[in-house]
Parts: sequence; structure tokens; C-alpha cells
Amino acid sequence: MTTLTDHAPATPLQRIVRVAKLHLANPWTTVVVPWMVVGIIFAANFAIWWIILSNLDPSEKVDAGEGLQWSGASMWIFVYMMVVAVQAISITFPFALGYGVTRRDYYLGSALAFVGLSAMYAAGLTILSVIEEATGGWGLGGRMFTAAYYGDGAWPERLFIYFVAFLFFFFVGAAVASVWVRWRANGLTVFFVVLGFILIGGAALLTFTASWYLVGNFFAGAGFLGSYAWSLVLTAIAAVTGFFILRRATPRA
Amino acid sequence: MTAVIEVAGLTKTFGSVTAVNDVSFTVEENKIYGLLGRNGAGKTTLMQLLTGQDFATSGSIEVFGQSPVENAKVLQRVSFIKESQRYPEDFKPKHVFKSAPWFFANWDQDFADRLIADFRLPVDRRIKKMSRGQVSAIGVIVGLASRAPLTFFDEPYLGLDAVARQIFYDRLLEDYANHPRTVILSTHLIDEVANLLEHVIVIDEGRIIIDEDADTLRGSATAVVGTSLAVDAFVGTREVLHRDGIGGLASVTVGGLSEKERADARAAGLELSPVSLQQLIIRKTNLSEKEFEVSA
Repeated sequence: MTTLTDHAPATPLQRIVRVAKLHLANPWTTVVVPWMVVGIIFAANFAIWWIILSNLDPSEKVDAGEGLQWSGASMWIFVYMMVVAVQAISITFPFALGYGVTRRDYYLGSALAFVGLSAMYAAGLTILSVIEEATGGWGLGGRMFTAAYYGDGAWPERLFIYFVAFLFFFFVGAAVASVWVRWRANGLTVFFVVLGFILIGGAALLTFTASWYLVGNFFAGAGFLGSYAWSLVLTAIAAVTGFFILRRATPRA
Repeated sequence: MTAVIEVAGLTKTFGSVTAVNDVSFTVEENKIYGLLGRNGAGKTTLMQLLTGQDFATSGSIEVFGQSPVENAKVLQRVSFIKESQRYPEDFKPKHVFKSAPWFFANWDQDFADRLIADFRLPVDRRIKKMSRGQVSAIGVIVGLASRAPLTFFDEPYLGLDAVARQIFYDRLLEDYANHPRTVILSTHLIDEVANLLEHVIVIDEGRIIIDEDADTLRGSATAVVGTSLAVDAFVGTREVLHRDGIGGLASVTVGGLSEKERADARAAGLELSPVSLQQLIIRKTNLSEKEFEVSA
């Protein structure tokens, strides 16, 4: 008969890291599928660029290139990561609590996984964008990873834009899922109604006071990159709010 | 004896519903407890409170001497396997068994592998596509192989067949003998686990109606069978837990009997038979309902 040995308790950092690892225990949903879909979308786009360009006069090619910079082909991946965050909080949370994880460690570990995934995807997309530039749009003048939304700066700028955009979608997803875990459907209804009021109210206020130029001035003043940097404020608000909401949430069957 | 859990005046309300009503009890180290009761009696809520998954309305809970709520030091020694455990999207059992050891210091991989073979669990299939019983087997394996000093099983075997349930009982008892720990098992299948339990806590409508050593409880009632006349004469003014009658025959469940009383009963031509834990609990649960009706 051996009595169960009491192991040294895990340090706070160990506890947070193992939650982050839990999110990556099955890399299928978080890593494999997204890159596979990027590959498929890229292949489809590549085929389309080829079809277009092989049917154009050389004189029309510049025009076509102008149009291709508005490609939204890489947008879905950000929305997908929001879904990953929603699932991570809504389904993995009750599971992890059964493993004896505290809500605090769960949230911080999840946040660590989100930051790590953001860095990984931002780096990967940046590498692809550099190749896209170096090969003149994959030899066809195509644009997917250097679309206009990511600016016209050098690759470090794009790396930053990708990174903050991923953070934004991860943490907004986490905050919305926290509302769901804590207050279920009623909570989400209230949340979206309030959000709708704020947005419409804000729009009304700006319109009736003829102040839309202030918004324009704000973005003009912040600049392209600066506007993305300001998203970090929203991301931080979502992250902190999500933490405090989940801190009092109860897993239910 | 060391107390692992100490609960005093614990109440949990959801709106106007009182799920756990002013409950106090102690759980001692290295024993197997049965937390029994009907559906909706408050078993799951109580376990959620004990594992810090839910927040008490009032009263105090101490697990390993501290409040379990958001307490990593306490919770790392706790494993809680639920009836309707959901697993992360796209998880296969192999992902569960890969990640569980990160969280449970006493995890025994050999034991887990043996259990996987015992339950014939396919480890490389998506959990979403598995049968109810197979999903339950995953939880049972995690609960056993984690060897957490305090393990909760909340109806862990939904959908498991009789053979698989027996494997669970056998392995639990065997591993518990080699590695003593505190196990709290909540279940409806009282007779199946009766031999496993060392202590029984019965909860009904949020209140604890029995908190007793299992052996003492088993000895606390006897069925007296014979002709109605003889039975009635013997029972006299004793507390009757239950009464069945067919024609001139009667079977009456009464409280524990002394040796002399047993001899008297036999002399009166009555038969005495033990009452199963399940019967006993059904009788006592009914009784409490009657009392409720009277007091209401």
C-alpha cells in the first residue's frame, strides 16, 4: 500500500502554461485547419489570377493589378480565430475546471495561447506577404497577403497589423464567449442590444451634431498604422472585461 | 481521522429555488463516500460547490482546510468527473489522455492504458462521434488514473453497460486499496455500489437526511415477514419504515433489532431479512417526504 505522495504544488506560471498547452493539445482546429484553408484559398485565387491575366491585353494588366489589391481572401482567418476563441472559452472552460484549474489560471492560460497563436499567424502571413512581394504577386501580379487593408508599408508594418488584428479578434471572441458562459442566451441578447444602442446612439450623436469630421480627423491624425494601434485599446478592454466576467462564471451542463 | 471536507450551514439558492438547504457535514480522508439522492435532490449542485465550480449563497466550505473557490492549492488535488462532461471541439480520447497528466501530479499512465484496454476504448476517434457509454468511459478513466487525493464522480457511467460498470467498480476498489484516497461517488444505482461504500450521505430536496457509516446504516433496518397478526403483534409501537401486505401476510420494515428481539421474532414464527441499502434509502426518503407534508 502506497499512500499518495503530495507533490510540490505547481507554480503560477506552470499552471498558466499548462492551460495554454491544453488549447494546443489537439492542433487540428487551431493550427492545421486554418493553414490548410489558407492553402486552398490561395490555390483558388492563384487559378483565378491566371485565368484573368491570360485573357487580358498587356495594356489592361495595370488596371487588373489595381483591382486585385482589394482582395478579401485572407480576411476569413481573423473571423475564424474569433470562433476559436469562442469555443476555447465556452467548451474548454468547463472541461478544464474538471481538471482542477481555477478560473483565473484558465483565463490567463487561454490569453497566453491567444497571444502565441496571434504571433504565429502574424509571422506566417508576413512571410507569405514577403514572398508575394518578391515574386511580383506569385508571378501573376496577384495580391492576397499584401492586400490594401494591410497598408503599403514594409513587412514589419504588416507584421504589426496582422498581430494586433489577431489579438483583437481573439479577445473580442473571448469576451463575448465569457458573457455566454456566465449569463447564457439572455446575457448575449442583452449584450448585443446594449452594443447596438451604443453604436446607433453614437452614430446618431455624430450625425445630429454634424461631428463625423471628428472621426475622420481621428483616423487621419492617428494614421494608417496608428489606427490599428488604437485597436489595442479595444482589445485590452475586451480582455480585461472577459477576465472579470469569467471570474464569477459557473460551468453548466 | 483527518477531515478533508468540512461544510457548515451551506445554502445555495437559484432564484426562488433552494438547491442546497443549510447543509453541514464532514468528509474524512481516505474513505469512499456515496452521495445518494433522487434526481434534482441537489447532488450535482453540492459537488459543484465543493469543487469551487459554483458559489455558495451562504455557509462555509473547507476543502483541505481552505475555501476551494479559485484556490489553486486546493483544486490541484481535486478531480471532478461529471455525468455530462463535454470535451473540447474535435478532441479525441488520446488528446484527453495526453493533457490530463499535465494537471494531475499522481497520474499513472500504465493504469490509464490498462483501463483503456479494459473498456475497449478507441483512442483515435473523435469524441463527438462516440457513443454515450464510450464518452463516459473516458471520464471514468481520467477519474481513476488521475489518482487525485479527492476525486468526485458525478453519475460517471451514463450509457455504460453492466460489464463496463463492474469493471469500474472493480478497478476503483483495487486501486483504492493500493492508493488510498478520498472518493465521493454520486449515483442512482445504489445497490450496485452498496458494497463499495464506506459512508453514505443521502440528500433530499437540498437537505441531508442520512449521514451514516454504511455498515451502521445496513444494520439499522430489518424486514419482518409473517402473518399480519403475528407481524403486528411484534411490531407494536415500533417505528415502521415501510409496510407491504398481501392477503394475510405482511412484510414490515422496522429499525435495527437487538439479538433478543431477533430471537423473539423467530420464536413468534416471523422471518427476518436484511434490507438492501437501496430499499432502506427509498423508505427513508419517502418518510422524509411524509414529514415534509405534515410540517408544511
